Amino acid sequence: MNPKRCAACKYLRRRCPKDCIFSPYFPPSDPDKFACIHRIYGAGNVSKMLQQLPVQTRAEAVESLSFEAKCRVDDPVYGCVGIISLLQTQIQNTQALLAKTQAEIAVAQNKQNQ
Amino acid sequence: MGGPGSSSPCASCKLLRRRCAKDCIFAPYFPPDDPHKFAIVHKVFGASNVSKMLQELPVHQRADAVNSLVFEANARVRDPVYGCVGAISYLQNQVSQLQMQLAVAQAEILCIQMQHEQPLQSHHQVLELDQDEKALLLNNNSINNCNNDNNNLGYAMSSGQFNSNFASPSSIMQMQMQMQDPLKQESLWT
Repeated sequence: MNPKRCAACKYLRRRCPKDCIFSPYFPPSDPDKFACIHRIYGAGNVSKMLQQLPVQTRAEAVESLSFEAKCRVDDPVYGCVGIISLLQTQIQNTQALLAKTQAEIAVAQNKQNQ
Repeated sequence: MGGPGSSSPCASCKLLRRRCAKDCIFAPYFPPDDPHKFAIVHKVFGASNVSKMLQELPVHQRADAVNSLVFEANARVRDPVYGCVGAISYLQNQVSQLQMQLAVAQAEILCIQMQHEQPLQSHHQVLELDQDEKALLLNNNSINNCNNDNNNLGYAMSSGQFNSNFASPSSIMQMQMQMQDPLKQESLWT
């Protein structure tokens, strides 16, 4: 077997062709990255998704898929949607605190002007 | 598909063209009147992966898991490059901007309070902030906030693990553990 197989072909136990769609994004030095993505999406789905994208966007797509897959492995119920929910809550809380602080400023400025 | 009196197959089994068993794992979550829901999850994750994921979860958590998978699948179809991560990045920026606005407001109220506590005297300098001083204070506050929030979003934003502006999963997961019932917000699912 070619010792320079990408992580995907190593994981799938197959030959890594010269035009392997995975090899630019799954170096053999990081086997967990592909393992995680494969667990959530499956190699076939990832391959299809990458084929439908222009080459210059595939690296970003792989990183975002990897992030989402990791989130899903860490939190099998909510995945990265849990993070979105958390951020929305944080936004609401910060907005409320900001409104409260701005109201305090208005009251304090009013007092000053009297 | 079933004898007389049996219910119609779920959306999954319809799409997969198979018999919908009584104990079909998809049936409770993919009713036949919403074929798009399963179609999109199947397109992104694959039916067998979804089935495996659901089997590994206790029954009472499966509905939430399906909803989050549908949400992610929809996001991925809308934005094939960034998926949900695009939304996370956007929300992180919003949080950052709001925190900066809050820092300015808190600095302002502090100044006003100091003015109340120390009435103007001829030999004392009155602390009034102009725009440049506010900006300077703002920068100091932003840095302090990031340094102090090592276990939450501030650290996550500055960790820079990815080429794009999304945070590392492990640091964000620490925040997530502090949350309870994240899916109580109905707006997430509409």
